[in-house]
Amino acid sequence: MSAVGPLQGARLSGERDAQRPSGASTSTASPGAALVELAGVSVVFDGRVRALDDVTLAIGKGEIVGLVGESGSGKSTLCRVIMGLTPPSSGTVKVGDRPVGEQLAQAPLAFRRRAQLLLQDAVASLSPRMTIGRTLEEPIAIHALPRAETLTQLAAILQRLGLSEDVLAKFPHQISGGQARRVGVARALLMRPEIIVADEPTAGLDVSVQGDLLNLLLDLQRELGLTYLLVSHNLNVIRRVTGRTAVMYLGQIVEEAATHDLFGRPAHPYSAALLSTNPAVDPRKRVQPIVLQGEIPSPVNPPSGCRFHTRCPVAQPRCSTDPPLLLPLDGQRHVRCHFPFSLDRRRH
Amino acid sequence: MTPLVSIRRLKLEATTARGTAHILRGIDLDIGKSRILGVVGESGSGKSSLATCLVRLLPANLSHVSGEIVFDGVDLLALGERAMNAYRGTRIAMIFQDPMTALNPLFTVGTHLVDVLRRRHPGMPRDTAEGRAIAALSSVGIADAALRMASYPHQLSGGMRQRVMIAMALLVEPDLLLADEPTTALDATVEAQIVSLLEDLRRSFAGSIVFISHHLGLVAQLCDDLCVMYGGTIVESGPVDEVLGAPRHPYTRALLDCELDDEAAGGRLVSIPGEVPDPVDVRNACVFAPRCMHAIDRCRESVPALRGAGPARLAACIRWEELAATAQQGNGT
Repeated sequence: MSAVGPLQGARLSGERDAQRPSGASTSTASPGAALVELAGVSVVFDGRVRALDDVTLAIGKGEIVGLVGESGSGKSTLCRVIMGLTPPSSGTVKVGDRPVGEQLAQAPLAFRRRAQLLLQDAVASLSPRMTIGRTLEEPIAIHALPRAETLTQLAAILQRLGLSEDVLAKFPHQISGGQARRVGVARALLMRPEIIVADEPTAGLDVSVQGDLLNLLLDLQRELGLTYLLVSHNLNVIRRVTGRTAVMYLGQIVEEAATHDLFGRPAHPYSAALLSTNPAVDPRKRVQPIVLQGEIPSPVNPPSGCRFHTRCPVAQPRCSTDPPLLLPLDGQRHVRCHFPFSLDRRRH
Repeated sequence: MTPLVSIRRLKLEATTARGTAHILRGIDLDIGKSRILGVVGESGSGKSSLATCLVRLLPANLSHVSGEIVFDGVDLLALGERAMNAYRGTRIAMIFQDPMTALNPLFTVGTHLVDVLRRRHPGMPRDTAEGRAIAALSSVGIADAALRMASYPHQLSGGMRQRVMIAMALLVEPDLLLADEPTTALDATVEAQIVSLLEDLRRSFAGSIVFISHHLGLVAQLCDDLCVMYGGTIVESGPVDEVLGAPRHPYTRALLDCELDDEAAGGRLVSIPGEVPDPVDVRNACVFAPRCMHAIDRCRESVPALRGAGPARLAACIRWEELAATAQQGNGT
């Protein structure tokens, strides 16, 4: 575990491409090369809680797609469906041309290597009874990986992540939150995944170190051609890092667009309200927040028609009876609204 | 104008297995009357400890508390427990971060509200108190306030519970309201509702507010003054727009650079290299020097004093004048 060798098949070259805009390379992926495809996916718990309702989303190879929405909107269920941890009640979920369920039935370990999950609570995602070293070496036995080669790779990954080898002898409670995040990233990378689903990767991190972690994720994406689905409450993170963003409300995707377009001019009233809630530090950039009434309704008994009509400031009679579909708009985005762009943000 | 609260040389230490932890390392701070003071800083900077000092709800493992907190002429740290208790929930009130655990699950909303009112005004008739409680619930945007009086905390959503907490704090009409990350546990659209409520209330509320947050944008929107904490010290304070518009301390500058703000994608993301200071370290240098890109030998020789840095502004940096001049040149040309 001492020699630091090159990571085969993947050059980890540090500061290369530093000038390249982080989001630009990701928004050009053609829809034909989708790595992840969800078509009409619904998840119903206990026969009555519709956690996901008719979700259609494609993630191209090498893309970074952001997922935003409030608690109860279905973000985590969507992550679990892609990871094969929650089977869809209806609809199809494919990762790399084949349904996830089929891959899990035929070659579960191969699928687990293909898709890796970064959990929100990084410390809790590590076993408190195992040293970091044992946790990171565990997949060698499970996946029957060549031991010497994998350990060499692990050393290279740790070095790349800025983790010293001292960390291997420690237990999770002995390391910082930022280190635990990086251990989680190391564990995921060791499997050489094609897609990483990152659930709130910067939650609980101080702002002074959050940039480090995001730069690292971006570097790895460029160097290894990784694909990310990034869930975050932090709209600034989504805006800076992702190429495309899907906005969820009550189990549905209500808008999906290039991140630049979405933040520039949200089409769905909920997107407009959500994005307006992020006060800027610079008073000149501050927008009047759109304050919605009430709170997100229960998915057990969602509102009729458009699920957002009960809180929508610009709802019309049709919205309470006629459920809108997620339809293409201007060939650039998909919006689930009868009256897109009707709620515009006003500047101070 | 004399400030409502004057904190001087406030030190807090605790004994840990690794040695003495310096939680607050000599805080000097004034809280103006009817002002909203934002306190920002990363985890471990001491911002929550500062708030708990002001109500003196300190953890039991403290080994050393010194300095003074003069509240309207009285040093709170010198008071006996009984005398201090007379201030809590009367002249000083607090809104906690987590509305889920701050309300007693065994009591109704009405009991919570009536109790704080009758503590503040002993002898107030029950029906008067109930009437005022219902009015307070309405004023924080709770529909069917009279019906909600009979609800238990578990029957309310997180946003509603935080509204109840705010109603409780306002009923007391405190001179000093402490709000420790009051919106952090809430969803974005609910957070916007609470922030908009706080903005409305600041017009009618006569007391001073200490608003603790890690969200610079929120603080910029809500507060009059700002105090930036790092490693148990105050590194900079002053009127919020001036501090954020032209920071005097390199740490404030670095925090703003990390903020991402609403800039579109492009370039590297900024971080502050190094790690937050260890509370166990004995300090005889600038607390930020190990991570500061402007640090020189002199910064490592002694602890810089918090000193004047423009009208109503203070900064704990020996180089702020030079750095401000350089920044000015950079902007001007």
